[in-house]
Amino acid sequence: MMKELPLIIIESVDYIYPNGTAALKNISLTIHKGEMVAIMGKNGAGKTTLIRTLNGLIRPTVGDIYINNENTNMKSIAELSQRVGLIFQNPSHQLFANSVEEEIKFSLKNLYQDNEELQAKTDDVLKSFNLEKYRERSPLNLSGGESKKLAVASIMCRDPEILVFDEPTLGQDANEIESFIKFIDSEKKKEKTIIIITHNIEFAFEFIPRTILMAEGKIVADGPTQIILSNNFLTERSSLVLPQTRQLSLALSNIGFQELTNITSRHEITEYLVKVLENKVTSIKEE
Amino acid sequence: MSLEFLNAFKFMKKESFLHNLDPRTKLILALIYTIGALLYNQIMPLFFIFLSLLPIVVFGKILKQWVKSIRGLSFLVIFIIILNTLFISLSFAIAMVLRICIMVSAFSIFFLTVDPNDLALSLISMKIPYEFAFSFSLAFRFVPTIAIEAQNIIDAQQSRGYEMQKKGIISQIKNLFPLLIPLIICSIKRAFNVAEALESRAFGSNKERSYYYTIKFSKKDWIFTIYLILVLTTLILIRIQFNSMPAWFLWGLPL
Repeated sequence: MMKELPLIIIESVDYIYPNGTAALKNISLTIHKGEMVAIMGKNGAGKTTLIRTLNGLIRPTVGDIYINNENTNMKSIAELSQRVGLIFQNPSHQLFANSVEEEIKFSLKNLYQDNEELQAKTDDVLKSFNLEKYRERSPLNLSGGESKKLAVASIMCRDPEILVFDEPTLGQDANEIESFIKFIDSEKKKEKTIIIITHNIEFAFEFIPRTILMAEGKIVADGPTQIILSNNFLTERSSLVLPQTRQLSLALSNIGFQELTNITSRHEITEYLVKVLENKVTSIKEE
Repeated sequence: MSLEFLNAFKFMKKESFLHNLDPRTKLILALIYTIGALLYNQIMPLFFIFLSLLPIVVFGKILKQWVKSIRGLSFLVIFIIILNTLFISLSFAIAMVLRICIMVSAFSIFFLTVDPNDLALSLISMKIPYEFAFSFSLAFRFVPTIAIEAQNIIDAQQSRGYEMQKKGIISQIKNLFPLLIPLIICSIKRAFNVAEALESRAFGSNKERSYYYTIKFSKKDWIFTIYLILVLTTLILIRIQFNSMPAWFLWGLPL
């Protein structure tokens, strides 16, 4: 059986800003369909520049990017944005219409020529994002969480196969983060490829299987999140702190629970501790 | 679309005769050249006024940024040429392009070489209330920030399929709404945030202010100002005697 080609291929990409700053240096990576990837690193590492090259907002100075085996240099931003949905940090940068409904329609206008179809799709999007009750409301009067939801809906309605989020958990409360996790879970089931830039190490550690770590415009590590974010050298280099679960497992292994040295997930630690406590209780009862 | 050209109005610290001049001298320069540009509708005098700015730009070590600011005018230049040629004449169109280039160059020299802090001080020395002087220098300081924000808005809208280049003037005007509305909203929000930040730092609590340093109108400022006044006087005299000028000075395209 032939091996499936990666959905995204980035080949030796450099990007130099007009002021001479080299933001990306020899970046090469591949991402397969349905993968979920975190891009992490300190501010100025080149994370946002990298994702902006995916939908053609900036073109690589050197190197090529292929999406579905097609060179992005040959495609316009409008064409690429149908495949790559880039969701920006600040929702107020894209909301301008008189109502929530109009905001969704603006994104769909290029895709649906027929008015009835456009209305039906708009209704569908409003329903699936639970924004129906705000249909007539001005996007400028929505709360922070709601306007973020609307910004996501206005990109998602175009049904891109690759979703790219820039700091989606920034400034979000626990409930909002939880509903975002549910949302990306449902998109993952639809075989969408998801790329997330985040500084939220706990979130990446728990939910994202693969992490790309960047520093000074280069990729310094690429692999399973639990391994990369458990590595003291790599996290320090990227100004990150070890995830709390990793800190806990290290602290416990230092006081004698050696088996925990290589355990990194919250679930495994809980399971291990429950087992230890059960054994302890049984032995106390027996005494 | 890039708003990179707005950086051509961003102050950069350098060592040059222009940078060392008092901000008031440079404000006089900007105003005198603007008046000079408005005095004439003909190609030749405007061309000479424009030419006289070049040595200032070169010796002021801002040639690269100045070229960027002029390049940023390309869209406006095309617009001016088309409209003026259609309704008046090509000669007039070229003269108007030169006029806008002189005015933008004069203010570009000012913005590129005046430190926003010095600008506030110079306004205060002109007896303008501190609150106004501070607001003006703050607005000046925020130009590059707004340019970055505008670029982010363009990127965000393009990411949802918005197309910048549409045919037809009405479509192009309509096309500006998805950019202008978020930009205005973000700027208003920022203004409120800055106002709150200033008030929380007791802005305006003391009527009497003291300053780290004060600016001084030096000998070289006087010399340069006298030169500028001479330039303006000459331009006014030529304007009055314009019809008795040699034929080549009155030259224009037959169109």
